[in-house]
Amino acid sequence: MSTAASLHQSRKRKNGVMMTLCVIAAGIGLAWLALILGALLYKGLAGVSLSVFTEMTPPPGDAGGLLNAIYGSIVMTIIGIIVGTPIGVLAGTYMAEYGRFSKLTTVVRFINDILLSAPSIIIGLFVYELMVRPMGHFSAIAGAVALAILVIPVVVRTTEDMLNLVPNALREAGTAIGAPRWVVIRSVAYRAALSGIVTGILLAIARISGETAPLLFTALNNQFWSSNLNAPMASLPVTIFQFALSPYEEWQQLAWTGALIITLTVLALSIFARSLTGRREDK
Amino acid sequence: MSQMLSPDMTIAAEAVTKAKIEVKNLNFYYGQSKALKDITLSLPERSVTAFIGPSGCGKSTLLRVFNRIYELYPKQTAEGQVLLDGQNILDRSQDLNLLRTKIGMVFQKPTPFPMSIYENIAFGVRLYEKISKAEMDGRVEQALKRAALWTEVKDKLNASGLSLSGGQQQRLCIARTVAVKPEVILLDEPASALDPLSTAKIEELIDELQADYTIVIVTHNMQQAARVSKQTAFMYLGELVEFDRTEKIFTSPREKRTQDYITGRFG
Repeated sequence: MSTAASLHQSRKRKNGVMMTLCVIAAGIGLAWLALILGALLYKGLAGVSLSVFTEMTPPPGDAGGLLNAIYGSIVMTIIGIIVGTPIGVLAGTYMAEYGRFSKLTTVVRFINDILLSAPSIIIGLFVYELMVRPMGHFSAIAGAVALAILVIPVVVRTTEDMLNLVPNALREAGTAIGAPRWVVIRSVAYRAALSGIVTGILLAIARISGETAPLLFTALNNQFWSSNLNAPMASLPVTIFQFALSPYEEWQQLAWTGALIITLTVLALSIFARSLTGRREDK
Repeated sequence: MSQMLSPDMTIAAEAVTKAKIEVKNLNFYYGQSKALKDITLSLPERSVTAFIGPSGCGKSTLLRVFNRIYELYPKQTAEGQVLLDGQNILDRSQDLNLLRTKIGMVFQKPTPFPMSIYENIAFGVRLYEKISKAEMDGRVEQALKRAALWTEVKDKLNASGLSLSGGQQQRLCIARTVAVKPEVILLDEPASALDPLSTAKIEELIDELQADYTIVIVTHNMQQAARVSKQTAFMYLGELVEFDRTEKIFTSPREKRTQDYITGRFG
């Protein structure tokens, strides 16, 4: 009797210790996030004004905005997504549908996972050699291609995972009614996995909208307004990189503001992605 | 073995109707392991045939040969003959999609497509027929009436098929199958995931459908087999142990193994 009681006591103690450790660990993780967000809000909000969205990046010592950088980020992100998403979705479709039982899929998945965790600066260098050197100059299109290469593995992974979650019974049901395979994939599997696949694309946008290294080697930067895809183009991450390291106060302020804009955009995308998957799980 | 029908069954079958599906010396393999061993039997037209037997006896496997759905997976192979109206469906030249429009299938778990109730039914019809909106409306209504679901869903045809209850979803799946006008309907434990009331509805439905369709039902539930079917096949370890009129199987089976199974001594 007393053994059981003491055993119970010691388990309760151990449980208490473990729980405290877990809470502390979770607290540390959250604290950094809170500190970063707090600092961003505090320093970034101070610089938010209409001119940030209407004026170009200024020369040192002048007032200005981030319009060309915001525009460049949006353009290159959109092109990156337009180029990368179809490749990613189709590759994921091959892996989950047509090649589910093939060796090739295992190999592609392995390589894709490596690509997924490859340092983005390597991708930047790769595109530098592939496009910037032959073309002889930095360009927005090279930046977009670098971003597309970053998009592909993310989309491949989520597409494959989401299609794998579609129950086989549903594919069998589609097949049993006489639908050819491509119709089953298009009308049944895609539809069942749609919110998951879209979430993957949103996460890919979130991922590339903060990438700096691949753009440094490809699109570089541009102090002025440029919508020429064949010329260097400004982007928020690179502008932040440049302005934050500068000694000029106006630039530093703009860097904080830019960082806040990116963070809020990514946050909004993540919340949207969350709400999409959440809705799926409710069903 | 006793794959042959008993004499009186043969006579009865010939008198009433011809064979819709004839299985001859069918063997089935999952990779190396043999799941069906030399099955021979013939299923009469416009009649309900039940496959019973303990788990893993091959009854679902046999059902899945009839529409060759097993070909979705690698390493599953069938040998022998399965004749549908005298044509061997295991032939390489058989168009699988066309075969599957003739042989519909309803699964254990309800599998509504992730689309509206209306679209769930129109989907299959649209694959092989170009018909007007009005005609399609008619087809959808007809199919839902056939599956005894019309009155419950007629005001929410645009609602998601997933919003229905389990029993309604299963009837939607039956409606979807009926809508493409098959000749044979395969039911793979269609009521095992449903409550008794929904089960009763499904069984009633099977009873009505046999006037127009050849129905094959796999079931774990022996009472269900006894209630809905005209013929019953008892399978065990990949073999067809006994195939006869349902009445005969449940009252005076010839094989001891059948006797043991239906009296609950094993399985």
